[in-house]
Amino acid sequence: MNAIETRQLTKKYKNKTAVDSLSLTVNEGELFALLGVNGEGKTTTVRMLTGLSAPTSGECKVCGNDCVSERGEIKKIVGISPQDTAVAENLTVFENLRLICGIYGHSKEETDRKIFEMIRLFRMDEVKNFRAKTLSGGWKRKLSIAMALISEPKVLFLDEPTLGLDVLARRELWIVLEQLKGRITIILTTHYMEEAERLADKIAIMLSGRIAASGTLSELEMLSGKTGLEETFVEIAERFGKENVR
Amino acid sequence: MNKIFSFSKRIFLEIIRDPLSYIFCLGFPLIMLVVMTLVNDAVPEEAEMTLFEINNLSGGIAVFGMAFLMMFTCLYAAKDRAGAFLTRLYATPMKSGDFIAGYIFPTFVLAVLQSVITFAASFMISLVTDVKINVLGMFTAVLVLFPSMIMFISLGLLLGTLFSEKAAPGLCSIIISLGSFLGGIWFDVKGAGGVLEKICNVLPFYHSVSAARMAINLNSDFIVHLLITVGYAAAITAVSVIVFKNKMRADLS
Repeated sequence: MNAIETRQLTKKYKNKTAVDSLSLTVNEGELFALLGVNGEGKTTTVRMLTGLSAPTSGECKVCGNDCVSERGEIKKIVGISPQDTAVAENLTVFENLRLICGIYGHSKEETDRKIFEMIRLFRMDEVKNFRAKTLSGGWKRKLSIAMALISEPKVLFLDEPTLGLDVLARRELWIVLEQLKGRITIILTTHYMEEAERLADKIAIMLSGRIAASGTLSELEMLSGKTGLEETFVEIAERFGKENVR
Repeated sequence: MNKIFSFSKRIFLEIIRDPLSYIFCLGFPLIMLVVMTLVNDAVPEEAEMTLFEINNLSGGIAVFGMAFLMMFTCLYAAKDRAGAFLTRLYATPMKSGDFIAGYIFPTFVLAVLQSVITFAASFMISLVTDVKINVLGMFTAVLVLFPSMIMFISLGLLLGTLFSEKAAPGLCSIIISLGSFLGGIWFDVKGAGGVLEKICNVLPFYHSVSAARMAINLNSDFIVHLLITVGYAAAITAVSVIVFKNKMRADLS
């Protein structure tokens, strides 16, 4: 079964089309990157796929559940780490994780096990009793992703997870994401080329709310006739710009 | 229920860990209790002014303190909306009712605690000033204040849902000032009479204060004021629930 399937998915805000006839398929267990510069519709796509925003037209399914009519089911199987760090500032790392377990109705034993697992995976032992507001940007982002992951979602959405992080914090987060690869489906939005290049199984290049090209890195390189994701991206963006005057 | 409990616990912890909540919700009302007791002490007996005697003052101060809890409810609701935290929670199985209950329950518990502390302080002041205050009356007053607590908390939720993190606390400050003035905490509404008395009678604050004052003095007339407060609490809660649900629906559209 496909983890994600969209057909002609469109979102319009008054006169602006944020996402335009987006059709894509993501296989189970894949790490799929939506790559594009700011304001190209990546976050809007994530919002529609997580049931946070209703599409204007088109269809989208997450693990076979329709994003509009089965929104309740989708909320049970997805986890999201929004672009801005979304943690309760006056709660400790431990309490933030426990809050999410409580919301998903996990038992005390399950909660303890899951928290232990997350703390181990993200190496947060030294900060587990620190209040979120005292954490650095990197730790906060790790906590935010751990909060998305603790409910054991089938699909994890990471919206610009390394935005604003220094190079060391970014690398550290990449290591964690590499550990998750294959275990669950991950949709990663990013505008960092090296991030998509290093982590993604497949990449979709989003431009002006549309998918300009998608496939594995080698498929995209073949399509563009360039080497490396940055050159590939620039070539595809230029071609797309010439073909589509919006 | 688990969802409500978890979210309530989060709000409870966030408020009690915020030093400002102690300053505004406890410190300031208790200071006013002491200051107004000193003012009362300075008033000559011939003036026959009993407004600031502890058995009249404590009910008003309890309502005054509650208004600050309104501000904190408002602040947290507005803050959650402004940041990405609510976005994260919107993507979980939490429903609008869970959010509303999650904001109201913990602040209600804090409001009860706040009232108990205010009356305990009032009792101590009564021992020092040698003015009698009825202990049974104070227990009754805590119960009588339940609808007022719900009313202020719901008002906070309403303002926090409608206004931004920057605008909401300012509006709350206006309501706190107007509410304490028109609630008759600092002056005798009946003595003032005229248009001012009519305005006070139309708004809920005077009835909240009067119900608490009368309950402390075991005056059964508190029932009338209590019923009016219950009506206001029900109406404001209903409006805040409708507005929150609509806002959540709009956020998810």
